[in-house]
Amino acid sequence: MFRPRFFSPFFLALVCLLVFSATSAFANDNDWKPIDPAELSSTKPVVEPNADAEAIFWEVRMDDSSSEDLVFNHYIRIKIFTDRGRESQSKVDIPFGKISSYKIRIEDIAARTIKSDGTIIELKKTDIFERTIVKANGLKVKAKSFAMPGVEPGAIIEYRWREVHENQMANGIRLEFQRDIPVRTVKYYIKPYANGETMRVQTFHGNGPELVKERSGFYSVTMTNMTAVHEEPNMPPGDQIKTWMLIYYTPLPTSNPIIYWGLVTVAYNEILKPLIKVDNLVKQTSATAVGDATTPEQKLKKIFDYVRANIKNVSDDASGLTAEDRLKLKTNKSPSDTIKRGQGTMADIDLLFAALAKAAGFEVRVALAPDRSEIFFEPQFANAYFLEPSSIAVKVGDIWRFFNPGYNLLPFGMLRWQEEGEEALLISETGALWVRTPMSPPELSQVKRTAKLHLAEDGTLEGDVRIEYTGHLAVEKKEANDEDSPQQREDNLRDMIKANMSTAELSNIQIENVTDPVKPFAYAFHIKVPGYAQKTGKRLFLQPAFFQHGLGAQFQTSERRYAVYFHFPWSEDDNVTIDLPAGYTLDHAESPAPMAAGNISAYNVRIQVADNHTVIYHRTFFFGGGENIVFPTSSYGALKQVFDAVHTSDEHTLALKQNATAASN
Amino acid sequence: MLKKLIGCSFFLLLLAAPALAGNDEAPAWLRDAAAQSNPAYDADVPAVVLRREQNTTVGDDGRIVTTTYYAVRVLRREGREFARAVVPYLTDSSKVRDINAWVIRAGGTVKHFGSDYVTDAISDPNDVYNEVRVKVIPAADDADSGTVFGYQATVEERSIFGYDDWSFQDRLPTLVARYALTLPTGWRAQGIVFNHAKIDPTVTGTSYSWELDNLRPIEIEPASPEVTDIAPRLAVSYVPAQGATTTLKTFTNWTDVSRWLSELHDPQATVNDALATKAMQLTANAHTELQKIQAIARYVQGLQYISIDIGLGRGGGFRPHAATEVFAKSYGDCKDKANLMRAMLKAVGITAYTVVVYLGDPTYVREEWASPSQFNHCIVAVKVSDETQSPTVVQSPKLGRLLIFDATDDMTPVGDLPAPEQGSLALVVAGDNGSLMRMPVTPPDSNHMERQAEMTLNANGSITASVHERSIGQAAAGERRLFRKVSRPEYTQVIERWITRGASGANVTRIEPADGSADGRFSLDVDFSSPAYAQLMQNRLLVFKPVLVERSQSLLLTKSTRQHPVVLEPYALTETVHIKLPADFDVDELPDPLKLDTPFGSYTASYEVKGDQLVFTRTLTLHATTIPTDQYASVRSFFERILATEQTPVVLARR
Repeated sequence: MFRPRFFSPFFLALVCLLVFSATSAFANDNDWKPIDPAELSSTKPVVEPNADAEAIFWEVRMDDSSSEDLVFNHYIRIKIFTDRGRESQSKVDIPFGKISSYKIRIEDIAARTIKSDGTIIELKKTDIFERTIVKANGLKVKAKSFAMPGVEPGAIIEYRWREVHENQMANGIRLEFQRDIPVRTVKYYIKPYANGETMRVQTFHGNGPELVKERSGFYSVTMTNMTAVHEEPNMPPGDQIKTWMLIYYTPLPTSNPIIYWGLVTVAYNEILKPLIKVDNLVKQTSATAVGDATTPEQKLKKIFDYVRANIKNVSDDASGLTAEDRLKLKTNKSPSDTIKRGQGTMADIDLLFAALAKAAGFEVRVALAPDRSEIFFEPQFANAYFLEPSSIAVKVGDIWRFFNPGYNLLPFGMLRWQEEGEEALLISETGALWVRTPMSPPELSQVKRTAKLHLAEDGTLEGDVRIEYTGHLAVEKKEANDEDSPQQREDNLRDMIKANMSTAELSNIQIENVTDPVKPFAYAFHIKVPGYAQKTGKRLFLQPAFFQHGLGAQFQTSERRYAVYFHFPWSEDDNVTIDLPAGYTLDHAESPAPMAAGNISAYNVRIQVADNHTVIYHRTFFFGGGENIVFPTSSYGALKQVFDAVHTSDEHTLALKQNATAASN
Repeated sequence: MLKKLIGCSFFLLLLAAPALAGNDEAPAWLRDAAAQSNPAYDADVPAVVLRREQNTTVGDDGRIVTTTYYAVRVLRREGREFARAVVPYLTDSSKVRDINAWVIRAGGTVKHFGSDYVTDAISDPNDVYNEVRVKVIPAADDADSGTVFGYQATVEERSIFGYDDWSFQDRLPTLVARYALTLPTGWRAQGIVFNHAKIDPTVTGTSYSWELDNLRPIEIEPASPEVTDIAPRLAVSYVPAQGATTTLKTFTNWTDVSRWLSELHDPQATVNDALATKAMQLTANAHTELQKIQAIARYVQGLQYISIDIGLGRGGGFRPHAATEVFAKSYGDCKDKANLMRAMLKAVGITAYTVVVYLGDPTYVREEWASPSQFNHCIVAVKVSDETQSPTVVQSPKLGRLLIFDATDDMTPVGDLPAPEQGSLALVVAGDNGSLMRMPVTPPDSNHMERQAEMTLNANGSITASVHERSIGQAAAGERRLFRKVSRPEYTQVIERWITRGASGANVTRIEPADGSADGRFSLDVDFSSPAYAQLMQNRLLVFKPVLVERSQSLLLTKSTRQHPVVLEPYALTETVHIKLPADFDVDELPDPLKLDTPFGSYTASYEVKGDQLVFTRTLTLHATTIPTDQYASVRSFFERILATEQTPVVLARR
């Protein structure tokens, strides 16, 4: 599956890499800035106490004043504290070349190392290598590469270069304020294009520093003590945690978001009108689809099912179409085209759904939404950079409902998790309307697991297992498996099970509904786990939480740098029955204590014994109730406690005692 | 902005793609290959190579033209990744004359991939500069189960080497594998096939052909030998006609190789005043030969590893940069470092030699084929007197006592050698005196971890505990690598995760590592507590596992059958855990002690109650061994029994 983008992620990443991959000087200024002796003798980082290297300053002069080229002059000075810092910082690659329609060249590279004793080693021109990284089909990415000479802990390295983007404007350029090492001072000088639309800047996750007017038409923006970007499990998306600035040009009034979004809506509406046009064919088709449905819910479901069933989704990566096949396809210019051809992209299918719903009398709007896997968007920021057409909003009663039939793994009424719980801009002739998309509650994304098992006297556990996933969990599973062969899907399952129960042997594997949009993704299999229970002289020890066996704790470290972020709420429902071996009885049948964290989460386990022979274990858990999926660092301790407690309870062990008769035999 | 909005066609992303292809025709060789049927394989075999062929023609002017024919049938969807042509070349000395690929779909339609589809890319993005590049035709998107993919490529090179090596297969099953060689008139070829019974080539004049058919797939198995030690591969040397003049370098024995490498290495061991002064400074406080070696070794190991490979086709890959240049820049690759160390030792009056070795498979280098192409790494042999005693000293018949040392691996100090190099064959580069030698293998007691732990168990199941680890040799090198490769906060997290794996919800209060790299030691002290380490059952029984950390949780060898031998890495652990028991509890049940003693390793676990303490002891020793497949059941059972023992709890009962 793909999602339409204004710029492909590859292109954006490449531009970012080109602009900020390493680092610049002042144009036509061949002099290095003086070195402060204190910096040379310093042995401790300033911004982060354990940093291996730290940028003393990082300066970029971005000159967009020319009607032709966009020029960056980079200059960075880095203090090296450790061998690791030396390893990570002393090899420099500066990409350039022809990427898409852009051509970038690199000029005037200069670099030097200043050892802690003040010795200066200049980089020789002959030590700068030009490499063609990749060349293919009009694309030619090259790099100037060099290794800084004589680098050792205590040294300062600095380098600068000029980067010229031919025939490009700074519109949509991102200026980063954080990098892989901490930076004491980041300073951008910005010179806008004077003869066109107004350049604007928007800072994300910084303190909104002032633009300061400088000489020669430049403005500057400075930030200090910028920490490095680190990686943590369950962290928010990169654009949400990093400090960065977006440069863009617009004739629209961004100071008043209401006016801005109104104008954006008008523009979009002009584009969209023909794409959701209701003509006779659409009316007839709508009537056929709706059939005898009477309630709004029934009608929408019928239309949803109709487009899914009757229009081949050519965007589906499991459709069997190659890239070449897709290129041969004709573009649908209206909903009628889509009906006539019986096939369309995911966008065509969404638009057809919109047109059919409209023809059925519903108030319909195309929804533009941000992607929660990239950033948590706020409409106060008047820039459509983050918004993309993503779903169809239909008013049912007083409520806007959202549908995305074009994404064929989603059930009726659900959006991709990336678009849930976000402000969406609904496009219509009547102006901009922001509506928050609903977030699916935990019960809609559920993993339901059942196991009917028998425990042998030697500790081997054997029986039949079924695991079903719904909602977003099902989408994830289907996406992960839909392109795989049946054999590979079985291998995926084996790997998943054996990761936590290495001795497990699986047979009679069935994997169901991999490409079915409605039914739960399901595994069914027979399992045998030698050594599952531990045997002592007179007891067997058994973990009844079969599905949690071997799992580690969710959070294993004491410190947390960033907020904890779960993509969506989910729930778990486990039913495990274990027939005990003859001659053994349960020494105790205590259940772990239940737990609850307000409406956010609850955990319950009930252990029963039937006929003194069968352990019945029922476990339920949910998380993310009340749309609580983001937790600030300050609540990490409490969150960890909850998950630790769940983990401890999941490890709860039952002791089976050997009957006196059996023991004596 | 508005322009951007309007300019974007709604919901549409057209991915750039090459021009459309018509229904092309595949060449006859590929059609013939595709017509072959293949035997049935296990369901997890992704593809079968129908034809793997290299035709090499050698000119007496040193020009070598190689044409490759390769055809593969995709058997399952995951086999699409093999629908890909990859042709390496050197920018300085070779060129790809032509490269074409075809896909024959299950229905018989053909797609041709010409120059529009070729991607030309660097081979190793990590090097600052490297002349090795690859031309690639990716066709995975056009392939599926049943598709046959084939490519044909011709590469022309000017080599200085009169030899070649070639593998008859990778992991995929291969129906026909053929290496054909045509030499100039009067020349002859000498070929050796490794990992397979002897094969005689078909010879017609000066044309030779080696062929193997119906090669079975090489399954990926844990703890398996490297594929280079399993797949049949051909090593072939070209022998010029008597009296012929040729630019191609050939080698008749290892002394030849040593002489040639010495010609490349010796002039580079340059010493200038700055380098000599530095060597003197480094060794100023060294009183013994070993201390001098250690001081210089530490300095050279501390330089950054940076690789700049130029002139590879002219032997550049074997020639280090001048020692003075490497010293001035403070960086270099393995041969640069080995050469610099040699020069610095020379400056303080110690003789040393470079040693070429293969890193990655200790069995890769074969004595019967004298060729520098068998090596990919460079280390040092330091000539030492009897005064210097070390497990890594070997005796050379001509050079005397040599201390072997890797100047690149900064985790392994003098007196030790990285595990992958131990026991391998390596060439000491010393002109006429050079020879192929077996690298030393350090004994298990030189690579050992000793762990002591004290744990206080409370009646509610909570514990407080301290763990003290002392490692030496390669055991210490592993710990050191973990410690040095990450920042201190990251190391703290690594240790927290390690503790938490065995003790849920643990609170780690002290982490104190000590890196004694000078003498090859590493120590780690950790204090922690855990609120529910033991489970209290019915307020009567207290159940816990006495293996506090690094408890066996899973098995590596789980399959019931085995295709290849099991390769064990050396390891030795001794652990004692003192557990202070809660006052109101007595030991009700202890796991059975275990004692395993096998040729490949031994293991003991024992439990003893001493007053209010339970003392748990375990030892594990694994020898560097390759265990034949017919003994697979015994090695699997060895680890199964360890797992079962370490998972078995101790039961305490309230008095």
